[in-house]
Amino acid sequence: MVSTDESAVKLRKVAKRYADIVAVDYIDLDVKYGEILGLLGPNGSGKSTTLKMILGLVKPDSGSVDVLGINAEDDPVAVKRQVGYIPESPRLYEFLTGLEYLDFIGDIYGITVMEKKARIEEYFEALELEGREGDMISSYSQGMKQKTALISAFLHKPKLLLLDEPLSGLDPRSARIVKDLLRKLTVQGVTTIMSTHILEIAQAMCDRIAIMYEGRVLALGNMKELRQKARLPGSDLEDIFLRLTGTEDVREVVEALLK
Amino acid sequence: MNWKNVLRLISVDVKAGRLIRGQRLRRYRESKIFQYLLYGGACVLGLAIGIGVGSFYAGVAGQALRDLFYDGALSLFISFPSLVLIFGIVFTMMGQIQRMGVRYSIQPPYWLPISWGEHTLASTLANLIGIPSAFLILLISVIATVSVYLGQVPLATLTIFALLASAFIASTTTEIFRILQVRLIGAVYKSTGKAAVWVRFLGSMLFLIGFYVVYFAFTSGAGSVALIEAVAGAQQAVWFVPYVWLGMVLAAFMSGLLVQTVLFSFASLLFILVLFYVAVKLNTRFGLYEPPAITVSRGVYSPKVGFLGKLGFSSLEAAVMRKDFKAFTRRRELMYVFITPLVFMIMPLMQYFGIYGTSAAVEPSRLIFALILVVPGAIMSVILGLIIIGEEGESVWLFFSSPINARSLVKCKYAFVIIFSFVVMLVCSVIGILITRPSPDIALALLIESILLIFALGAVSLGAGIKGADFTEVPRPRMVRPLTTLVYMLLCLVLALAIFSPLLLHAVAVGYIPLPVSLPKMDLYIAVSISAVVALVVAFVFYRIALKNAEEFLLKAEI
Repeated sequence: MVSTDESAVKLRKVAKRYADIVAVDYIDLDVKYGEILGLLGPNGSGKSTTLKMILGLVKPDSGSVDVLGINAEDDPVAVKRQVGYIPESPRLYEFLTGLEYLDFIGDIYGITVMEKKARIEEYFEALELEGREGDMISSYSQGMKQKTALISAFLHKPKLLLLDEPLSGLDPRSARIVKDLLRKLTVQGVTTIMSTHILEIAQAMCDRIAIMYEGRVLALGNMKELRQKARLPGSDLEDIFLRLTGTEDVREVVEALLK
Repeated sequence: MNWKNVLRLISVDVKAGRLIRGQRLRRYRESKIFQYLLYGGACVLGLAIGIGVGSFYAGVAGQALRDLFYDGALSLFISFPSLVLIFGIVFTMMGQIQRMGVRYSIQPPYWLPISWGEHTLASTLANLIGIPSAFLILLISVIATVSVYLGQVPLATLTIFALLASAFIASTTTEIFRILQVRLIGAVYKSTGKAAVWVRFLGSMLFLIGFYVVYFAFTSGAGSVALIEAVAGAQQAVWFVPYVWLGMVLAAFMSGLLVQTVLFSFASLLFILVLFYVAVKLNTRFGLYEPPAITVSRGVYSPKVGFLGKLGFSSLEAAVMRKDFKAFTRRRELMYVFITPLVFMIMPLMQYFGIYGTSAAVEPSRLIFALILVVPGAIMSVILGLIIIGEEGESVWLFFSSPINARSLVKCKYAFVIIFSFVVMLVCSVIGILITRPSPDIALALLIESILLIFALGAVSLGAGIKGADFTEVPRPRMVRPLTTLVYMLLCLVLALAIFSPLLLHAVAVGYIPLPVSLPKMDLYIAVSISAVVALVVAFVFYRIALKNAEEFLLKAEI
């Protein structure tokens, strides 16, 4: 079933509507193995819906989604087994402790006991959750919950990571660890698609960036290609983003607010 | 005190309460016609009852009977404040129980310019809106109307004021209890450490048992009359307890003791002010209190393997079952599932011990035993089946994104429903057997029936729970759509009767259930065997339906 195609994720003419709202408007997207692709766009531009469609959490109205050579609609369980996913605001089981939650996740993905134990301990230490692993998640801060969700996505060594705002709420050290970890994982062939609002993170981490607006992919490429597309040589991602999405004229808005 | 703030907070609190009870409100401002209808209806009903009672009094011929009626009515007037107090506390406490598990607190936002006094007053008054107010209006209408016939309008006026004050005292007491409960629970968790989970579970169970014992004792028919008699008699004896001072005001007024009337009136007013002051101070002190984190383990990883695996469950299925067990023993909002089985055990036991409104204990009967043994386990399987998918709430994204298939999902959820209901059934059976000491034949037959019902109804309700799952968590976890619950509860009732009918026919035939019909005798074990066949067919068919629903559920996963 696994193809020799070099695309880890392939979207063809994928569309999704919610009543009158067009969430994703017939997009085509290819993500290569071992690549970090950033999905960038204002609120409601279709980033999260795209991620959910890749995982099979949302069924596209039309088009096809191939993930790691498997058609997500034909065999969603096979796709999910190889994917690590974090939604935008992950709701964890708050009545479990951090340790119990990750043990549960390990069992869901069929990780062996010894492997599970070793990985959980490593991650807890790396992300400085030691000492709180036996507390119920309900008492964790937002950042601690995000760290637990991140560990749960990494725990079963997935081939594809779908991360919706992965660094949200993390302290600088943990954010740095996650960034470095994602970089190292790409070397091992792990593909990552992440959505983010933080342009600096996208610019620093992603091999390619897809700028989405009103359900469409306005531009896709590395920084050089995006600069060319926006005709802004030497500019940073913020200027490119504002130019391409047509939202660059913010001065009037600020002045109106100050009245 | 900014009264506009108080009124705004009351409307927010009332609105939140209605959302919690499951009403879907689409607009913030809406027609209040249904609320007013409730109060208007109570008023009209009260007037009708008052006119009926008054006309009856006016029509009584004999002077002795008239005097007896007159004295009875007046002693009832005096008891009303204390009765309203008791019922007020019970009703407002029930309101608090309903809010168990509300995800976001119904406190006013602390960063807004609202004082604790305004918040406490709004919360206290909001507790009374709805059924307690309707009950109060009904009572006031009756009293006002009857007093005209009795020629006791001044006493009635004073009684009405006393009733309003009693309702306020009841609600303020509940408010104090609520604040103290939060603080106390926090302190208990802190001191119990790892045992906090079980302390919380057992504490909640004990609270529910205690609450329902008191509730049934007060609200059952003969129990209410006994209570009224007791209150009327005991009030004078415990005059030093501030909670009866309003009744003492009325008693003194009726006896023409003006000084005592004034004294107890001032004392009551002072008591209300002190009580409210205490509630405000407690809210100021503990209103922002956050219970400490519950530490379940000290970070030593100990993987759970073995038992469920040996029973044939995969690591995924066993993990989901272990997670669900923790959910039902740790999540306060899920502990309500124990209420119905508890009630079905408490009611027959209270009847048996003579607490349930009757003066004498009831002889141990097969009916009591059947109720204790069969009903709690069966009801538990229905309730659990209905909510076992919806209880995942917004965390259900994990199921949709995990490599779990329909077969595994249904298998582990169904197994959990069966095992948990079995435990409830076994606990109830032991209690039932110890108390009613049935014959081994009846005990065995009912035990088998109970198991059959659990298997069959568990499958029916699980299928419904998957189809009608509602993952809404704010402001209250809904878990299953109300219409699904209603339809499938009725279906479960019909199927339970179908499964149980051979045994019912046997009971009628041998005379355990006295009916004026004669039926051909059917051997007990033949009846049980027919039951088993019906139950297994129901379980098989609905398990298949549950599987189909699960496939659809995972396929159409949209979050």
